[in-house]
This record gives sequence, C-alpha cells and structure tokens, in this order.
Amino acid sequence: MELSKKQQEMLEGKHGRGARKAMEILVAYGECYNAERMIPITSVHIAGNYPVLMDEGIEWLEDLAQGGTKVSVYTTKNPEMFDFDDWEELKVPEMYQDRQRRIDAVLRSLGVTLTYSCHHYLLGNVPRFGDHIAWASSGSQVYANSVIGARSNRDGDHVALAAAITGVIPEWGMHLTENRRGQVVVETERLNLEGFTTADYQAIGWRVGKIVGDKIPVFVNLPADSAIQNIKGILYTLTVTGAVGLVHLVGITPEAPTLEAAFGGTVRPLDRISVEQKDIDQAYGEISFTSEDKVDMVIFGCPQCSIQEIQEIAGMLEGKSVHPETQLWICTSAWVKTLCERMGLLEALKSCGVRVVADVGAADGPHLYLKEQGVRVIAINSARGSYYAHNLFGMDTWFGSSRECIQTAISGRWEGKK
Amino acid sequence: MIRIKARSVTAGVVEGEAIVSQMPISFTGGMDPDTGTIREPSHDLEGRSVAGKILVFPTGKGSTTGSWQFYAAFKRGNAPKGIINVKAEGVVAVSAIITDTPMVHELENDPLELIKTGDFVKINADEGFVEIEGKSDNEKG
Repeated sequence: MELSKKQQEMLEGKHGRGARKAMEILVAYGECYNAERMIPITSVHIAGNYPVLMDEGIEWLEDLAQGGTKVSVYTTKNPEMFDFDDWEELKVPEMYQDRQRRIDAVLRSLGVTLTYSCHHYLLGNVPRFGDHIAWASSGSQVYANSVIGARSNRDGDHVALAAAITGVIPEWGMHLTENRRGQVVVETERLNLEGFTTADYQAIGWRVGKIVGDKIPVFVNLPADSAIQNIKGILYTLTVTGAVGLVHLVGITPEAPTLEAAFGGTVRPLDRISVEQKDIDQAYGEISFTSEDKVDMVIFGCPQCSIQEIQEIAGMLEGKSVHPETQLWICTSAWVKTLCERMGLLEALKSCGVRVVADVGAADGPHLYLKEQGVRVIAINSARGSYYAHNLFGMDTWFGSSRECIQTAISGRWEGKK
Repeated sequence: MIRIKARSVTAGVVEGEAIVSQMPISFTGGMDPDTGTIREPSHDLEGRSVAGKILVFPTGKGSTTGSWQFYAAFKRGNAPKGIINVKAEGVVAVSAIITDTPMVHELENDPLELIKTGDFVKINADEGFVEIEGKSDNEKG
C-alpha cells in the first residue's frame, strides 16, 4: 500500500505510540483487501460496550490512550449498560458501575464524544452524501450507506478507532463506486404494504437478509414516502440475517433514483427475489424464541427510540397502566430523554408505569444485570433486539409490533403472533 | 523440511504444532476465550482447542466484534500463537495485529492441503515464508 509521508511517519512512531498502533492496524487491514492507499474520513462511530469489550478490552483501550492519544475526527459511541442517573433504581451491581466508569474515563481521554447512542445520526454525527466514514455498528453503517449515501465498510471497533486517530481509512469495498452497484432485485409488489406495521417491514428484512447473504439488494417497489422507521426496520434487520453493508431502495437511496442508477447505469440480467406474505409469516416464527405466555419485561429501543416513537408509545398507553408483574422500558439517548422531560412525556409515562432509560439499547447492555434480577421472558418490537437478547444473553424473547408489545405490557401476557 | 513463500499480514517469527481447519472461523460465538476451544456447532474443529497452536484455516467470518474476543482469549493465554490463512480477512488480521501474533496469507501452495494437524510449523512473517518440518519439497505438488 502506498502511504503518504505523514502516514509513513505515523507507522514509524513519530506521532506517538497510539498513532503507530492505529496505523499498524490500518495497514494490516488494508493488506487483506488489496487497498492501494488511505483516504481521509469525516466521521467515526464506535460500538463495543462492556459485554463485548470485557475487562481485557478496557485494558486495551487504556493502553491505547497512554501518552495522550486522541481522535482527530468527530467520533461518537454506541450505547452502554446503564444510565448513570438511574443506577440505584435500576439496581446495577457495583462491578458494572466500576467498568462503565472506566470506559467513560478512557473514551473521554481519547476525545470520543460520550453519546452512548445508536441514533447518533439523528443527533449530530451526520455525514454528507459521498463522505467516507468508519461506523462500527452494522445497523447504523447500513443506514449511512443506504439512506445518507455516505460510504462505510463493516469496520470493527479497532479499525474505526484507528481511523479516528489517524483520520484515514484504507480505500476498499464500499468506499469505491464500482463496489456499490446493486446485485439482487427484491420485489415486494405481492405484499399489501399499506397495512404493514414496522414489525412487518422487519420481517421483510429478515427474509431478504437470509437470501442475499453479502450481496447488495435493490428494493424496487417501496413507496418513496415510506416512513423512516419502516426503512430502518428493513435495513437494521437485513444486517442480522445477512452480511449486507448497502441496500438500494429505488427512489429513496441517493445513489438509486432509478433502477438503472442502482446498477451503475446498466441493468444486467440479475437474480430476482419476490417477497410473499408466507415469507413474512414464517419470519415471525423465526424471530420469536419462546413459547411462554407470561412476560417479565417489554422493552423498546433497538435502535434507541426517537422522540416520535416515544410520543407514539405514550399515545397508545394513555389512560392505561403497565401490569404490576411486568416492566416496560423505553431505551433512548440522553438527548431524547431530556426532550421527553421537557415535553412532559417522562411524567406521563412514569404514571403509566413506564421507565425511560437513557444511554442503553434494548438489544444488549442491560440484559447482563436484568438476567441477574430474574428477568427471563421479554417482548420486543425489534427483530434485531430479539435475536441478540436471545443469542448473546439467553433471554426468551417474543417479537411483535409496538401495539402488540404495549398490549402485552398491560395484560402481562404475550398478545402478539405465536 | 519444506519452505513456502507467503505474504505477511503482521511481523514476527513463531513455531509450533499446527491445527488445521478447512472451514472459516468466527471468533465471536465461534471460539471460547476462556479455553480457546472452537464451539461453533458442526465446525470441523468443534470441541478442539486452538490455544498455543499455529492455527491454519481458510479465512475469517462473522461479527467484527471478533477482535475483542480474540484479544480476551490472548490475554487469558488461550489464543493461537501464529495464524496461517489462505486469504486474510479484516477481523482476523486486526486480531493478529493487536496481539502481535505472527500471521501470513496468500501462500504459494495451498496450506490446507500441505499442512496437517500435528505438523510442526514455523511462520517467519518478517521474511514472508512458512516452513513445515518432516516434509520434502516434492510434496508441494
């Protein structure tokens, strides 16, 4: 790989040991994909929370930060385990508090902005069309490529952090126009999308991800005015069952105003798949991982809830309250929690028995201690959240629409599809 | 002893007993950092430990969080001490570089055919070659 004078100096350690380690990572990584050079990036997002990092990962970060290593581009951080404002009420064990304090301290020292959010792109970390970026969370990465038209590979945390420190990334994969062309046409015309819930859209994503694997799908029948939560429903779920980094939604994705554009100018004979209602029904069966009716907890926020979603949940709950043996959590960012307070939503939801928790996501962090507190059966409106809560933490999970999850919270029993 | 040219992903020299898989490996979910045991169901190394071995396999797969898993395995003394891939992939390359594990790929001859589990293998990632003890050059095929 060809390095500039400054990049070569970084590799030789002339800009400190942190920059040296970072450049070593990027060169080894670029070597795998025959990258010819490094290109500048404008935005970084890192993901690993404590269950992923473990004690050794925190030590690695602390070592990296030694000697004053700093990020050189705006870098945000995915959710963590708990909300520091609430740790007492959430009954978070001392050990986890200690670990999160250390993660806080080392990221602050590296210059990472402590957003603890996976909707960072709604709240400040907003790349522009064509920007090269390094986002280490598969859901937001596919969102950046497909909705914003920025360019990110499926980089892990080490690569993303190395990019944040050096300001560059090896040029390969999604950074190159020729690799962003569509490969599989996805038809949804046989589905009655008008009556579809966001959960149904996730079921589409679940099915399509399983079929396309790492190929780039091109959705040809989605209305241009599709609600953003439905688009996210497809995208975030596709990355669970497939290794997809970019999805062309014709008429929505900036690079795909037309079918021809999605394929880079020429439509070659390509694979075609058509999603049918029976695929949706089958997906529901695959996304739930339990058969127990009694539900311990209903959890929203994978990805973290936007203010609009929380308003919608509050509307559905008005005048009702959560069953005494069931908890209802809404996971969001600190910004949105603050907005909720300002809008009077926090109080309104609290009176219905709902807890709004900042800085965590519904798929991973809190499950470590929730499990220790006896929470076992969970209902969730996110396919991704259901899959990860089950596979990473052994939770028994139901998946359904927001309305079904709300009804479940009220009755204490699963009210959705079985 | 035969010597095969290879491309280096990281630097360093290491030798030891080989453990060979014909299947891609995911460190997240696929390898237990507490034992170094491959735990992916139906994997050809399922139940076998790669700790302290020269791990030979086609390429990496799976979650990009694999490099954190590999690092934890390394700190707990349960990581392989050298890696030979047919073609390196990002998660494995990053795992090797953050743990200073010697790693090569793109060998002149197919390592999955030439190297058998139990062979004594040397990786010289500084100069870009692999040596296999007890084999003669005509076995290169």
